Amino acid sequence: MTQTAKAAKKTTSAKASATKEAKAKAPAEEKAVTEVKKPAAKKKSALAFPFTSIVGQEEMKLSLILNIIDPRIGGVLVMGHRGTGKSTTVRALAEVLPFIPRVKGDIYNRTVEQYIEMESGAKGASAIKPEDVKTELIPVPVVDLPLGATEDRVCGTIDIEKALTSGVKAFEPGLLAQSNRGFLYIDEVNLLDDHLVDVLLDVAASGKNVVEREGISIRHPARFVLVGSGNPEEGELRPQLLDRFGLHARIITINDVAKRVQIVKLRREYDEDPEAFMKKVTKEQQKLQKKIVAAQQLLPQVTMDDAVLTDIARLCMNLGIDGHRGELTITRTAHAFAAWEGDKEVTMKHVREIAGLCLRHRLRKDPLETVDAGEKIDRELGKVLGEAEAAA
Amino acid sequence: MIAFTDIVGMDLAKQALMLLAVDPSLGGVVIPSTVGSGKSTLARAFADILPDGTPFVELPLNVTEDRLIGGVDLEATLASGVRVVQHGVLSKAHKGVLYVDSLSLLDSSAVSHIMDAMSRGVVLVEREGLSEVHPADFMLVGTYDPSDGEVRMGLLDRIGIIVPFTPVNDYRARKQIVNIVMGKRDEEDTQDELRMLRGLIDAAREQLHKVSMTNEQIKGLIQTAISLGVEGNRVDIFAIRAAIANAALSQRTEVDDEDLKLAMKLVLVPRATRMPEREPSPEEMAQEEPPPQEEEQPEQEGEDENAPPDETDSEADEEQKDTPDMIEELMMDAVETELPDNILNISLASKKKAKSGSRGEALNNKRGRFVRSQPGEIKSGKVALIPTLISAAPWQASRKAEQARKGIKTTAALIIGKEDVKIKRFRDKSGTLFIFMVDASGSMALNRMRQAKGAVSSLLQNAYVHRDQVSLISFRGKHAQVLLPPSQSVDRAKRELDVLPTGGGTPLASALLTGWETAKQARTKGITQIMFVMITDGRGNIPLGAAYDPTVTKAPKEDLEKEIEALALSIQADGIASIVVDTQMNYLSRGEAPKLAQKLGGRYFYLPNAKAEQIVEAALS
Repeated sequence: MTQTAKAAKKTTSAKASATKEAKAKAPAEEKAVTEVKKPAAKKKSALAFPFTSIVGQEEMKLSLILNIIDPRIGGVLVMGHRGTGKSTTVRALAEVLPFIPRVKGDIYNRTVEQYIEMESGAKGASAIKPEDVKTELIPVPVVDLPLGATEDRVCGTIDIEKALTSGVKAFEPGLLAQSNRGFLYIDEVNLLDDHLVDVLLDVAASGKNVVEREGISIRHPARFVLVGSGNPEEGELRPQLLDRFGLHARIITINDVAKRVQIVKLRREYDEDPEAFMKKVTKEQQKLQKKIVAAQQLLPQVTMDDAVLTDIARLCMNLGIDGHRGELTITRTAHAFAAWEGDKEVTMKHVREIAGLCLRHRLRKDPLETVDAGEKIDRELGKVLGEAEAAA
Repeated sequence: MIAFTDIVGMDLAKQALMLLAVDPSLGGVVIPSTVGSGKSTLARAFADILPDGTPFVELPLNVTEDRLIGGVDLEATLASGVRVVQHGVLSKAHKGVLYVDSLSLLDSSAVSHIMDAMSRGVVLVEREGLSEVHPADFMLVGTYDPSDGEVRMGLLDRIGIIVPFTPVNDYRARKQIVNIVMGKRDEEDTQDELRMLRGLIDAAREQLHKVSMTNEQIKGLIQTAISLGVEGNRVDIFAIRAAIANAALSQRTEVDDEDLKLAMKLVLVPRATRMPEREPSPEEMAQEEPPPQEEEQPEQEGEDENAPPDETDSEADEEQKDTPDMIEELMMDAVETELPDNILNISLASKKKAKSGSRGEALNNKRGRFVRSQPGEIKSGKVALIPTLISAAPWQASRKAEQARKGIKTTAALIIGKEDVKIKRFRDKSGTLFIFMVDASGSMALNRMRQAKGAVSSLLQNAYVHRDQVSLISFRGKHAQVLLPPSQSVDRAKRELDVLPTGGGTPLASALLTGWETAKQARTKGITQIMFVMITDGRGNIPLGAAYDPTVTKAPKEDLEKEIEALALSIQADGIASIVVDTQMNYLSRGEAPKLAQKLGGRYFYLPNAKAEQIVEAALS
């Protein structure tokens, strides 16, 4: 971790100095970066319980997968009972994520285009040519944001060691930089400090992190899929943050004895010998990863009839949902879901499966409401579908 | 120091700690007990039965976030010029024990960090320019007095064993405790006993992976968890581990009924959210008589130990008749002995008169969550050293040059100016705790409950930014009851209000006392602003004594008034704001509610058929 950060610092400080020097130095540094990355990734795989061995909790698993297929869905909030595998599932995600290309060793995980745009602009003079930029494949990053994080580590700040020893103001990127183009996970998100929530809301809205502190001024891309989990009994989420999440998955205690026995057995087997267990499930894990990649590739070809869009709009209207984020999320999620199912056309059948996920947290809350949000959505959906059928 | 083996009584707690010593993956042991039971002595003596060199770290209640998680060691950093990292308390307990006395008084951000570390086995340090991972795989041992408040459920979920709460009232045992404290035991005896116990635990640890458990037994534990309404699936694993550890401790290779029962007692029953219902079997429904099998119960134990190993294969036929019955029997046994004290009367403890502040009630302003630093003067707060250094660092060369130019000789490594000083800004904890006290007596109770429910929900939904909390107390019959300890959860508040019984007398004095105690507890956790929202007609008719003495049912009117007045004045003097909302029809009112408001120094609102919003408005105005 420290080494990664140090390597990153090198890259950044190099950037601040002359272009030539940076270029000359680059190969050596990049090597250092890749060397550090690899063992870190391996270590992770030995630690996380595999995604494919998680029993039940389909709603959460589907939400996460749909967000990999299309990150524009806007993340997922997983709320529910304690001890039901929320964080286990999110942490297992890293292993089934596909690879993305980035500029080699780039701490912001930028694409070549982003890199050229930012760096050329900053230096003015010589434009960087795409063929000069080396790239590498990395797994989609999953960054864990702990509750105790301070703002400077989230946004990035001046590198204190460098500042103290040489008086140079170098930028040390934070967690937002690391999570660019990846996942940012916050466990117990409802307990997150208000100040950090403000930062996240800002960055999530703009896709950019702007740091103006301690005499440095930096702006870098920070587009991430926000994943939060928590137990509603520990506290409520701020409405603005709630609204940011594309999907809202619920998770409850499994009360099926056979399933629970299975959970216990898998867990014990894993605890006994994690490596052997991982080996056993490699095929399944790879299969899932392939299916996700296939869905990603299919996604651009998926189409949706205007009639379906009309039905979605009517559904949101009937449910009294403010703004257009509801419609937009359903549309995107339905596309991703169709791709996941291997279908090229979105139908109301797809919409029906994902409407609850998209709308549950957008319904206006009535303190005296006793009907479950999911049921309400289902009911309205039934009406819309009935109307549609009657019209046809 | 009193040795583990010298401690008298608390056998279940001792057993729990021994199980933890055998299998640290049980996560920890929580021991709720009253003051003076020797619980903290026992917890500290836990180190005696652990292998030599196992870390045992005691967490001070007022621990700062820096100390807990770790951060930059300033002194060493300044001395060496290189950033030196200091591990936090959580990481210092790695592979050992983290002990917290008065666990329920620990502030909520510290609890969150402990939970986080326990779920990861490491501490992620992302603070003040540091980004590190420190190992923090520890056992948590916590003791607390339930009258100080309850431990957060999220934390309990990560701790395998919760010792059932039993107040110590055995005078003989107490006397023996005194004897030990006076040093009347033979030191050599103690050492021998300890050696033996440690040998036993070592042997059990070796044995642990050899213990087998049948599918039926696993199913039995899971079934029990489901019937007790235990939340989450994590507990299943803890229950299984506890049963196995107990078998290993008895040098057995197979789990038996005693192990299962103990696992239920220590892991499942304390987390019960409902009393298990005996589901009548079809025969029972038909005959209304228990099947004759029950008679054979004593023999069954023996039979089961010799159960053929092929049981493991019979996963398919779930409905094996004998086993579920037996499991149910075990469960009822575990429940009946432990449940009444522990679950159903969980709020009983908080009803007892609160001890006057042995623990500091003063709020430490320098606590809370350090969020960021901002420019400021040294005197105006706690100096944030790292940011101060950062801002001073780039100017060192030029400042030294400047001083040299002026001919000032300096040996200081760093020159820090006023403009560099940054002070820490802590998280604002200034939210208000609204304690709703709802009169659930009499015929209008349902109406009041509905109003309270609406008010609570809308208050919570509109008040995130203020970090407000609500607590809910209902009063009817003989005494008041805390339905919801201070919380921000709409879901919980709603759930509590849904199942509330109504009718009976009006124990107004008890409500005031309960509210006051809740307020005091909240103050120890850093909430300063407290407001009572009383929804009542103000007509109390049950004396305070009724809560403790069942023979007391009424008292003369003057006595009732005196009680209420005394309490109200104390509450007012304690700086607690109040409003009284009277929703009774005018012609029934005899003016008691305005009087109550006056005594409390609060405001009175007359809102017949009040809407939830109106109550909220009144509370916020």
